[in-house]
Amino acid sequence: MTATDLLPALKNPTEAERQLVDLFSAYNGDENQRRSFDIFALTGLPHRRMEQWKWSDVRQAVTSLQDGSANRPSDISAPDEAISIEFDGQSWSFPDELPEGLGIFPRTGGHDFGQADRLPMGALTAAMTGHEPADTLIIEVSGKVAAPLSITVRGGARSASFGRLVFILREESHLDLFEHYSGGAGLASYLVEFGLAEKAQVSRTILQEASTKDVTAITSTAHLAAEANFEQTTLAFGGKLTRIETHLEHKGENAKAVLNGAYLAASGYHVDFTTHVTHGAESCVTKQLTKGAVADGGRGIFQGKFLVPRTVGQFTDADMQHQALLLDNGAEIFAKPELEIYADDVECEHGNTSGQLDDEALFYMQQRGLPKTEARALLTEAFIVEALEKAQDGIREQLIEATRKFLRREREQA
Amino acid sequence: MLDNLSAAVGEDDGRKTILKGLSLEVPAGEVHAIMGPNGAGKSTLSYVLTGRDGYEVTEGSAKLEGKDLLDMEPDERAAAGLFLSFQYPVEIPGVPVMTFVRAAINAQRKARGEDEISAPDFIKKAREIGQILNIDAEMLKRPVNVGFSGGEKKRLEIFQMMMIEPRFAILDETDSGLDIDALKTVADGVNALRSPERGMLVITHYQRLLDHIRPDKVHVLAKGRIIKTGGPELAEQLEKEGYDGILGEAA
Ligand SMILES: Nc1ncnc2c1ncn2[C@@H]1O[C@H](COP(=O)(O)OP(=O)(O)OP(=O)(O)O)[C@@H](O)[C@H]1O
Ligand SMILES: [Mg+2]
Repeated sequence: MTATDLLPALKNPTEAERQLVDLFSAYNGDENQRRSFDIFALTGLPHRRMEQWKWSDVRQAVTSLQDGSANRPSDISAPDEAISIEFDGQSWSFPDELPEGLGIFPRTGGHDFGQADRLPMGALTAAMTGHEPADTLIIEVSGKVAAPLSITVRGGARSASFGRLVFILREESHLDLFEHYSGGAGLASYLVEFGLAEKAQVSRTILQEASTKDVTAITSTAHLAAEANFEQTTLAFGGKLTRIETHLEHKGENAKAVLNGAYLAASGYHVDFTTHVTHGAESCVTKQLTKGAVADGGRGIFQGKFLVPRTVGQFTDADMQHQALLLDNGAEIFAKPELEIYADDVECEHGNTSGQLDDEALFYMQQRGLPKTEARALLTEAFIVEALEKAQDGIREQLIEATRKFLRREREQA
Repeated sequence: MLDNLSAAVGEDDGRKTILKGLSLEVPAGEVHAIMGPNGAGKSTLSYVLTGRDGYEVTEGSAKLEGKDLLDMEPDERAAAGLFLSFQYPVEIPGVPVMTFVRAAINAQRKARGEDEISAPDFIKKAREIGQILNIDAEMLKRPVNVGFSGGEKKRLEIFQMMMIEPRFAILDETDSGLDIDALKTVADGVNALRSPERGMLVITHYQRLLDHIRPDKVHVLAKGRIIKTGGPELAEQLEKEGYDGILGEAA
């Protein structure tokens, strides 16, 4: 397979797309990887004319692959007892000694990615990983792992960075996970897949930071068997463009999911939260609370969808809330909450608001002596923190502190 | 000390002059009451003094201990010692009372170049004042005013006043919505704060609060000005005769 064989599929490739073709051609990809690349090549880098990407135009954001920034310095640290897994922009490293119930296996060669056709950045990542050195890890959890896994992902000042994690959670297993993405690559795309067997539990906390040079896509999928429980809390500061996309499917009865998160976008930062939840089994529960705060020149996007098919989705209990604050004039927030419900005996709610801080409340606070900036910060913090309450112990306070700094403009902007 | 204060609200066509040359002096150590018909401009006066957006002073001056209030931001006025107990206290979602009051006290102290209040001192003081005002610790953990009853909100205003210990306090109808016992509790709170260094301006419609507080002077505000000033007996006269008599007299 040569670059010229691949090129025809891409219509009018951009410089960046051509570079991606070259990069892929340099690997000796197997059939699986080639299939993934072909699917990616059908659309190329996602762009505004694709409905799901109308507010996040990756093609425009990455015209050519350029080196990313150095990683943001971060003052967030995982709990001491955490098991640390690191990605340097190219390959994973992890400890030799692992506790019982946890297995980590690097994988080379393509690994089937079933949802490639719906997730172009996921398809690209599936094509670009599975090569040496270890850029793909299979993580198998077969018991209750007491210590949290701490996953640190850096772009390593590269022009492109791709990594993949596949979590296999056996019956009744239990995993706490903290993922910290700190940017540092011109184009970074990570694919994280979760398969939860019956009664398996995952509690996932994600912190995403990057600079205004970095384009990042974090694509996650989760399949939940009966009575499985998946909780996710994300705090994202965005980058030049950041897309955090989560596709979750309830496949067994009585599974439960929480998808909470907050995005905080300063001037020049773009954050996109996209989620898709399918209630493919009866009596499953999904609770989703997304909060956002966007400053002048920042852009926040929320796209959420609940799909409840007719026969299998009975007794669904689902709630999707998105609430955002425009901190200044010139802030942009786009939201598209969607409920697509065909089953008739369900409880589905959704709410979507964007607005500004209440002037009356601000005046009241100022009257008590708080300077306006402090009053705004306190009010916004209280608003945001609600979406971070389910973050992991030991991380939650740090996320709140990072939120505080952002709101007081004390965060160092890279 | 207010001199010839005039103020307008609203913009363009909706613009309306509410205060029309109002003069008033409340010396430190005294408590004065303002009474007046609905819409007379009492709350407007309190907002003009505290610096609320949309209330524009067109003439006159307002000073607290010689400092010109009208040049300052609302928080600077607070740090200079001005406190308003709101006629309609505002909900602050997600911010617990204790967090809020402590942040307010420390912000004021910082603005004045003073040290922060220590956590134990703060908690001790909150407990003592809570006891006086019948506010339990549970309530102080809740977000400010969120889900509070009308009377609870008013008691919480007095709680904040006693915690902050302002140099000058304006109480805008703090008595309305209070039951008889709470009224007494609030009046006790106000009396406890009476001191030679502190002035207070109590806006009310009812004699009852004044029975407990015994103001040094009572002013009648109507149509944007003080039209009559007297001692506590003026409030009694108003209670009996209503505003019509006095308004007629003044005209
Ligand atoms: N933002 C505003 N725009 C237009 N008119 C206003 C505004 N604020 C106040 N007013 C008007 O100013 C007048 C004085 O109002 P104010 O609230 O000061 O009265 P008050 O003396 O406190 O009355 P009450 O005893 O009912 O509390 C009223 O006629 C009111 O409608
Ligand atoms: Mg009033």
